[in-house]
Amino acid sequence: MTDDELDRALFALPLEEPPAGLHAQIMAATVLRPAPLFRTWELWLLAGAVALVGWLTVWIFSSSPEAGTRLTDSMVAGMRALGLFSRATYVWLGIGLSSVWWISRLPFMASPRSTVYNR
Amino acid sequence: MGVALLAEPPPANVAAVAPSDDDLIALALAGRGDAFGTLVERYERAVYHLAFRTMREAEEAKDAAQEAWIKAYRALASFRPGAKFATWIFTICYRVCCDRLATRKRFTGDEPPDVADPSDGPERTYEAAEESARLRAAIAALPEKYRVAITLFHLQGQQYEEIAAVLDLPLGTVKTHLFRAKDLLRAALGPTAQRRTK
Repeated sequence: MTDDELDRALFALPLEEPPAGLHAQIMAATVLRPAPLFRTWELWLLAGAVALVGWLTVWIFSSSPEAGTRLTDSMVAGMRALGLFSRATYVWLGIGLSSVWWISRLPFMASPRSTVYNR
Repeated sequence: MGVALLAEPPPANVAAVAPSDDDLIALALAGRGDAFGTLVERYERAVYHLAFRTMREAEEAKDAAQEAWIKAYRALASFRPGAKFATWIFTICYRVCCDRLATRKRFTGDEPPDVADPSDGPERTYEAAEESARLRAAIAALPEKYRVAITLFHLQGQQYEEIAAVLDLPLGTVKTHLFRAKDLLRAALGPTAQRRTK
């Protein structure tokens, strides 16, 4: 068998057929894969913040015996300042939430996608 | 078919319609998933072919090909514009296969023997002509380094520099591998050729 004959035979050889579903699996693992809720650095930041808050809480309560009372008092004062003890706040909150719900039920047409990639 | 697809330029009327690999990569980087899908469609078969020839097991080849595409997708931004996408994806695929072969060797102590197994191969799956089947079996029986070199030769044509880039080997070594591989193939296919010429 000559070199040319062998080359011709090699080039005439069909490529292996990929198994069914490989394309879908590749797409699912790449472009169609949902983005993670948090990135790695965000998770580290969150864990650091939680650890810091935990350490501060332990430190505050262990350093002062009246810390619990003071914290409760300051929280109640803060809630009062925000109006959370007022009935009017909850009435307005209810009106706002129901408005959002009604608006979301209105039958607006969805805008069509501007371009569809055509290969 | 592989060479016709990958090495030769497309016909003029097709080139006017089909976007180039660089265009598709740029679109994919801009967030167009369908452009990456087109790239996958274009090279999926060749990448699987390389993985299959290297791993010699359909299931492992499938996993290796998928891993190669995932790696390519993640590293798409590092693709150098102007470079050949085929060479890049083949390089990724070949490295994935090498890693998997090394792992397999570490866990099992050895890799499958460099001998074609007639009960487990593409011959069983496809009803190819006798000559094609013999050639496939002969390729499968080659030692790994020759098998991969001849597979890339099949995929990329006589572009030895590209093959050397994928295998990360000197050009001379690639030529030697191909020479030896062809020698072994000729020896394996010799009787058929002789029968054909009589």
